[in-house]
Amino acid sequence: MASPCELLMATDDVQIAATMLKLAIEEVSRIEQKYSRFIPHNPLWQLNHGLGKTCTIDAETSKLLHFALQCFELSEGLFDVTAGPLMQLWRFDGSAHIPTQPAIDRAMALVGFERLTLSETSLHLPEGMQLDLGGIAKEYAADSVAYLLAARFATISVLVNLGGDIACPVAKSPPWQVGIENPTKLDTAAKVLSISKGALATSGDTRRFIEVDGKRYGHIIHPRTGYPVVDAPRSVTVIAPNCVTAGMLSTMAMLKGKAAEAFLAEQQLQFTVYR
Amino acid sequence: MNNNNNKLQSVDVSLSTSNSLSSAFPLPSLSRQSASKSIAGALALASCGLFANGAQAAEEGSFTDGWQVDAALMYYGEQERVQAIEAIGTAQKTFDDESTVDLKLVVDSLTGASASGAVAQTSSQTFTRPSGNGQYTIKAGDTPLDDTFHDTRLQGSANGSWVLNSDWKINGGVYGSKEYDYMSIGLNGGAERGFNKDNTTLFFGGAYSFDVVDPEGGRPVALSSMAIRDHYNSDDSFQAAFDATRQRGSDNKQTVDLMLGVTQILNQRWLLQANYGISSVSGYLTDPFKVLSVVDESGTTEDIRYENRPDSRLKHSVYLMTKGALDSGVVDFSYRFNTDDWDLTSHTLETHYRYYFSGSFYGQLHLRYYTQSKVDFYQPFLLSDEPLPEFASADYRIGDMDAYTFGVKFGHRLAGGHEMTYRLEYYQQNPTSDEPLPGQLQELDIFPTQKAITAQFSYSF
Repeated sequence: MASPCELLMATDDVQIAATMLKLAIEEVSRIEQKYSRFIPHNPLWQLNHGLGKTCTIDAETSKLLHFALQCFELSEGLFDVTAGPLMQLWRFDGSAHIPTQPAIDRAMALVGFERLTLSETSLHLPEGMQLDLGGIAKEYAADSVAYLLAARFATISVLVNLGGDIACPVAKSPPWQVGIENPTKLDTAAKVLSISKGALATSGDTRRFIEVDGKRYGHIIHPRTGYPVVDAPRSVTVIAPNCVTAGMLSTMAMLKGKAAEAFLAEQQLQFTVYR
Repeated sequence: MNNNNNKLQSVDVSLSTSNSLSSAFPLPSLSRQSASKSIAGALALASCGLFANGAQAAEEGSFTDGWQVDAALMYYGEQERVQAIEAIGTAQKTFDDESTVDLKLVVDSLTGASASGAVAQTSSQTFTRPSGNGQYTIKAGDTPLDDTFHDTRLQGSANGSWVLNSDWKINGGVYGSKEYDYMSIGLNGGAERGFNKDNTTLFFGGAYSFDVVDPEGGRPVALSSMAIRDHYNSDDSFQAAFDATRQRGSDNKQTVDLMLGVTQILNQRWLLQANYGISSVSGYLTDPFKVLSVVDESGTTEDIRYENRPDSRLKHSVYLMTKGALDSGVVDFSYRFNTDDWDLTSHTLETHYRYYFSGSFYGQLHLRYYTQSKVDFYQPFLLSDEPLPEFASADYRIGDMDAYTFGVKFGHRLAGGHEMTYRLEYYQQNPTSDEPLPGQLQELDIFPTQKAITAQFSYSF
């Protein structure tokens, strides 16, 4: 997952803790092996290298893509797992490198979930298009681990933290205390949120941005313009019933730019925005 | 972006469960009133479908509790010389996603002839077989090859690796091999520690092996002259002379290896590995089947003497390797430098490039260049008017040489997770000696080029 992962378990039984940890590691590794963009010839790679042919997909992939479709529709096309070609143009390495407009146009021609044909068992991805589940897989893994542990140890509170995507499936009293990083002062907690049951996810450009002529471009790319969102908050943290929901809402809020707070206020959820 | 002061609208979030193909989705028009308020609820509802069955069953083939078994058959053939057929079976069991046990069994059968170290002559030559039973004759102009070379070897090894905690991993193993006149047993162990979120791994390891050398007909007395039947009047006098060139009983050899290395992940795609190894070998290091020709100033063989090597050797090696994941393949480059107190130094440059034609089919290229400078006691022949040295060997494998390997490999993944690979490699070794040749040796090919083909087929269950 290329980020620090931790599992907090409210138990003093070493045996149970070890079993839980093993389950969690196996599940996270399984999802990473299956959906990471960086592992050649894994199932995702095979879909992305299907050369325009219709590929068979398993039930899990189908569910995940159907959820991505819901997100695409609910966000009116702002959240798009086919936006990979655009993402790859923008290198957030601190350099002042901005892609050229023709390059952006070429990439935009390969973006758009509406061009996919998806069923319960198959996916047709036009040639040259690719899926990048980076904006959803980590949250999905956090939820998946949370459900897995709750199904087996229904009475033990755990906090699953995959690089800041947090899921707490079993209510804890007193609640977990989660620190939210201050984007202007990294590695220090700016604010502490209490969470008993539910999930929390953060989107933000605190660690990945490029600055050109004093203008800071964050890592959230607007799939309709091909450019990073202007006036996006530095970071958005949302508490929601589960991690995929929290992650999606925080990403959508980033994409709303100036209107992020207004959008989140309407959702009647706990959230924190840093600008 | 439109602002979100819109009135509530209902959004259809039912997960389609029909088997009909949902064709291209109409993109909601941007002018449509967005239904912000319901998005959180709609997402929460939609996400329920993701975990409807609770835990997802792991796919077949990942984290299995069973054994991963591989079988391979390999053929190695040198032009007009050694041929080998090798059957390899391996089994690996993964106890969890980290700890493993590996078992390996190899059976190989070698036949053919190998260069004895004696030089070619313009007339035919007769040599006594290493066992003392019988002799063989080499035609004029031919490199003397000992054709008595045939052997079946059985090798087995077991290795395990265990994760102690998030920082430390240890491994250990045992090894044994047995052939008709040679036996080897060994054990190895090592540990690795990850730093810096496992982006840096330091590892160190050690190995010890004990070999017993017991050649048929006994080990030759160092630098003694080969007894030839034609030079004796009777079988008995020949046998007595042959016995005088032999030492009774077996001898042994011990090897201690130590290695220290570091692996550094450079970025998402590249890693770098560097190792330093030291190896100390002591005991019987001479090859009991290798000889040297003693020639006069006309290049004519006067005598054949058994070789002799020092009884200890200290080797150092440095290895650098970088490996990268490309969009549709993998590439690696490596360099190895070896040096030892026998004065042999070698450099190896090697690269593999693997290209995935599809998710289940790849092709791989392998290129290797090797160059070595001879050990200090290597001599292609001895001169009769010079005093006998303490150590001497004409074994081309420790002489000056360059070698090239060119190989291709293809791999298919089959349904059910089975995998098939085929490999074909060409190897050529060019001796690069600049030794001045006396008399008749100038007309002969004293340093022949050697060519070999390796073909391998393997299947993973």
